[in-house]
Amino acid sequence: MAMAGETLVRRMAAGDREAFGAFYDRYAPLVFPLIVRIVRDRSDAADVLQDVFWEAWQGAPTYDPARGTPEAWMITRARTRAIDRVRALRRRGETFLPPVDESLAAAPAEAGGDAAERAEDRGVIRTALQTLSPPQREAIELAYYAGLTQTEIAERLKQPLGTVKTRIRLGLERLREVVRRAP
Amino acid sequence: MTSHEAFDELAAVYAVGALDGDDLVRFEAHLAEGCERCTATLRESEEALARVALAGTPAVPPPAVKTVLRQRVAADGRARRAPARASWVPWAAATGAVAALAALLTGGFVASRYEARLGQMARETAAVRERLQRNEAALREQVAVYRNAVELLRDPATRVVELRGAGPSPEASGRVIWHDTAGGQLFVANLPPAPAGKAYELWTLGGAAPQAAGTFQVDAAGRATHRVEPAGGPASKFAVTLEPEPGVAAPTGPIVLASR
Repeated sequence: MAMAGETLVRRMAAGDREAFGAFYDRYAPLVFPLIVRIVRDRSDAADVLQDVFWEAWQGAPTYDPARGTPEAWMITRARTRAIDRVRALRRRGETFLPPVDESLAAAPAEAGGDAAERAEDRGVIRTALQTLSPPQREAIELAYYAGLTQTEIAERLKQPLGTVKTRIRLGLERLREVVRRAP
Repeated sequence: MTSHEAFDELAAVYAVGALDGDDLVRFEAHLAEGCERCTATLRESEEALARVALAGTPAVPPPAVKTVLRQRVAADGRARRAPARASWVPWAAATGAVAALAALLTGGFVASRYEARLGQMARETAAVRERLQRNEAALREQVAVYRNAVELLRDPATRVVELRGAGPSPEASGRVIWHDTAGGQLFVANLPPAPAGKAYELWTLGGAAPQAAGTFQVDAAGRATHRVEPAGGPASKFAVTLEPEPGVAAPTGPIVLASR
């Protein structure tokens, strides 16, 4: 049984470099595809990944298990940094809005200790987004993966702001429901 | 819509990172008030979004990333090690800092935004702790000096010998509190800092040849205190010379302070 993520973070907080190595091996292959998906460039994604893990090393003493799992802690951080990168590029005039697709995964990872365990629920969770209505899914993906704000989404979809908010709320409620029921 | 339903909606938009404008300000203020319902909504939403994101096919990142990180962490390692010795002053400071961090954390889920700042604070706290430890060590040393002086002065056999500036530093002055068997304490004022590679050396004069009684440096204000070990016999006179830094066995440099 692999060491629990929380334990690794606690050891990192105490300055344990080996724990950091194990933490990286475990989470980098999971977080990297999300970053690639958002920034859409492997080299940019590698930069973001490095920032994200460096922040994790530095922020380990402030990690609070009551606020979420290490997975969520890392994914949230990775998503935020990746979006920061995309927004910075956009500000520099390299305007682009990524179409929503998920086909950017790189080389598959080696099977880790709990890879099999994760593969089981991956099927259900992976299709979780598909269970949303297309407008809900679109609004959430534009926000979460493309980094648009509610105002930008409303402009882009030519919908009232209230409608966008409601779509996001309903979609997210549904998503929480699916995840809650997953094994 | 009840009053909280509006916040449910804002919480959802916040969870996907899309809240902006007045809504963002309003919602963060609401969160900072400690709304448990919104905190729970955010936590559950982030977990759900994370699980969806994690359900994708894993991908091995370029190996260079790990190499660079390993180097950065190795270079950072020292700073993260626990202080060797705990004492109440740094402990109190650390407790205060922890309390401050905890207070920030109760702000709720907004806290994820503060994490970078918190990391910064943790580093600052470590620096403060280190500084306090240094200050404390210096204070302990000073207290030991004063205590030693007071103990010496309580003994009727102790003498106070006045030293006057001489040679290159006529403005300097000093006093030695001296006890023939217990040793003593030298206090110096207005002595210019020794040039690089040099130090002041104290001599006790009692027998035939001057006996070395240790080297010292002065602070920026030209002050110094120096503990003088017993000379192994009575000493009647004292002198300070400027010598090469590690000190010498017999005086070679100019006399800067001397008793009459």
